[in-house]
Amino acid sequence: MRNELHAVVVKELRQTFRDRRMLMLLIVAPVLQLTLLGYAVNMDVEQVETVVTDDDGSPASRALLRGMLADPTLLLRGASRDPAAALTEGQASVALVVPRGFAARLAHGRPVQVQVLVDGTDPVRAQAAVDATTRFLQRSGQELRAAQLRAAAGAAVTGQALLAPPASVARISAEPRLLYNPRLRSATYMVPGVAATVLLVITSVITAMSIARERELGTIEQLMVTPIRPSTLLLGKILPFGAIGLVVAGVVLAVGVNLFDVPVRGSPLLLLVGTALYLLNTLGTGVFISTMARTQQQAILGSFFFIMPAILLSGFMSPIANMPGWAQLLTAFNPVRYFVELLRACLLKGAGFVELAQPLAALAALGTAMLTLASLRFRKRVS
Amino acid sequence: MPPFFQRLGALAYKELLHMLRDQQVIYLALGMPLVMLLLFGYAVSFDVDELPIAVLDHDGSAAARRLVRGLEASDAFVVRHQVREAAAIEALMRRGTIRAGVVIPAGFARQVARGAEARYQLLLDGADGTTARIALGYAFGATAAAAGDAGRGVLPLLEPRVRALFNPALRSALFIVPGLAAVIIGILAVLMSTITVAREWERGSMEQLFATPVDRLAVVLGKLLPYVAIGLLQLLLVLTAGAWLFAVPLRGSLATLLAAAVLFLAGVLGQGLLISMVTRNQQVATQLGAISGVLPNLLLSGFIFPPDNMPLPLRVLSRAVPARYMVAVMRGVLLQGQRLPQLWPQFLGLALVAAAFLTISTLAFRRSLD
Repeated sequence: MRNELHAVVVKELRQTFRDRRMLMLLIVAPVLQLTLLGYAVNMDVEQVETVVTDDDGSPASRALLRGMLADPTLLLRGASRDPAAALTEGQASVALVVPRGFAARLAHGRPVQVQVLVDGTDPVRAQAAVDATTRFLQRSGQELRAAQLRAAAGAAVTGQALLAPPASVARISAEPRLLYNPRLRSATYMVPGVAATVLLVITSVITAMSIARERELGTIEQLMVTPIRPSTLLLGKILPFGAIGLVVAGVVLAVGVNLFDVPVRGSPLLLLVGTALYLLNTLGTGVFISTMARTQQQAILGSFFFIMPAILLSGFMSPIANMPGWAQLLTAFNPVRYFVELLRACLLKGAGFVELAQPLAALAALGTAMLTLASLRFRKRVS
Repeated sequence: MPPFFQRLGALAYKELLHMLRDQQVIYLALGMPLVMLLLFGYAVSFDVDELPIAVLDHDGSAAARRLVRGLEASDAFVVRHQVREAAAIEALMRRGTIRAGVVIPAGFARQVARGAEARYQLLLDGADGTTARIALGYAFGATAAAAGDAGRGVLPLLEPRVRALFNPALRSALFIVPGLAAVIIGILAVLMSTITVAREWERGSMEQLFATPVDRLAVVLGKLLPYVAIGLLQLLLVLTAGAWLFAVPLRGSLATLLAAAVLFLAGVLGQGLLISMVTRNQQVATQLGAISGVLPNLLLSGFIFPPDNMPLPLRVLSRAVPARYMVAVMRGVLLQGQRLPQLWPQFLGLALVAAAFLTISTLAFRRSLD
């Protein structure tokens, strides 16, 4: 059994790396991907292109617009006569409109509406722009009101408005502090997600393809007439790809740490255990897909049928907490979700085995289940 | 009919037969975009509701409680734990039980009463930056609202009147669905076409093709045509489902969209074909296709992360990703009702990328047996 396993592993490694480009792809590609994408994913909303329409043209309206545009979220693209058209034609994503009579109304202490038009196509950007402008308007509106009240109080002393009630304006401000990632660098929290994705794509596709290939070429029948048992054959297929996965994980982590300053606050042993458990899942998925595919084209399409939902339902790009109940239920069976959680918690937060018991257990349970199911199907198909 | 088109037709027909013989692939190719649409149209959302938080109240005053109630009233936060020390907040956060912590300092109420700046600390879990960023926005809003309440009915002088065009309710689905359609169709096209030529090399049928008088360009185009048809079919399916399930509008013209889709498909299929021509090995081809197809399409296309936010080298690189232009066209036509005069830069980009991939593929397709 040992000898047979050894033989299958050697065969598999030789076959995979017979084409030298494969080695290159498996090591160089993840590094390139991580480098590129670590820089690409940036959720900061900055410099949203903005046009202004100043129908008042007074010093007060100009000051207001200057104040709003001082926020780094917005970037002035110029003045526009037709703000809605500017948005439709894609010249800008935000238009600020100050109405005629703005200064006059303010001088009389009457509330004024300032119109903020946003392009709702990208809700995240739109919301950030709206937040920035309303924040400014609320604050300066309160300050203006407070100044008026003070002036009124001053006037009371001179006897003009004796009945003006003493008023106060509360000023409460939140001082945000971001733990684990003080400057909220996207790369820092995205690298774990990208790493999980890269590992998933590489290991599950390579496993699925390798088995589908034997089926497509008919060599699986040649293997069946040898005394190798199906379980040995399967193990021989999984072991080398698992090892490749661990190497890829190590390389990806090294790049993340060196290039993107991703901290390693937790224990390396925990990372190793977590990655090994995660690989059980990705390899099991690969085997499972291969049992349903007769050709390599089916295998690759089938892989993506699993991979795409797994990536998008992992919480890597959009928060899980807000998904509808059924989708959250699906994420409970998604190993990528647990691995992203584990990587983020271990690398950034320095969480240990005890705190991460749940994702570890989930990865182990899902991985065992997936691999068992896959190998049962595999054995049935082979024999 | 000139012989070129005759041969092209024959090759396209042969490729179509290849494709139709494997019905599982057709089901996958047509079913996958629909499944993805359902999953992501419903599941992917960038709103945050009821984020679990912990509160550490050093003040214990009515003003502090009002602030916490104000934060909860925004629906963005739910208080899950009242803690007594700052270390407890961090411990909860490390375990992932809470996403944010609020620390109200002693003397908070006094500051509020005096009208001085009353500050409280908001601790956010930066390890999940996507959520943290959204939560930050909500917290500022909720704080301003709480301050307004504490100001005992003082009227704000400046009122923002916000109107969101094209997507008044800022629904995530309207943002996700058009982009997702382009991304999914792009990924599938790359994956399906990466294998075609490599398979012929592996099986030796390429040599049979050499024995025929067919032009290089005809071989390349003949391989593409059936996949273009599948791609257009996928697009129509997704558009119909998107309109029906998520009320995604079609404000521009369908013809513009289809024209862009043909150019887009030529680009992504060209990418897959090039990989296939160069590698001549199905295994290497799929790995390369998977690597160059999935993440660039997801991340460099502007589907979720705007390319304008990327550093310069990536902005340049994203111009070689056909999905980048297609995502812009989809949103422009469906949501903003844009037409050719506004969309020509996208069309130009699509055409250039497609021309580049197809030219290189044709050149790489050397009719030699080495």
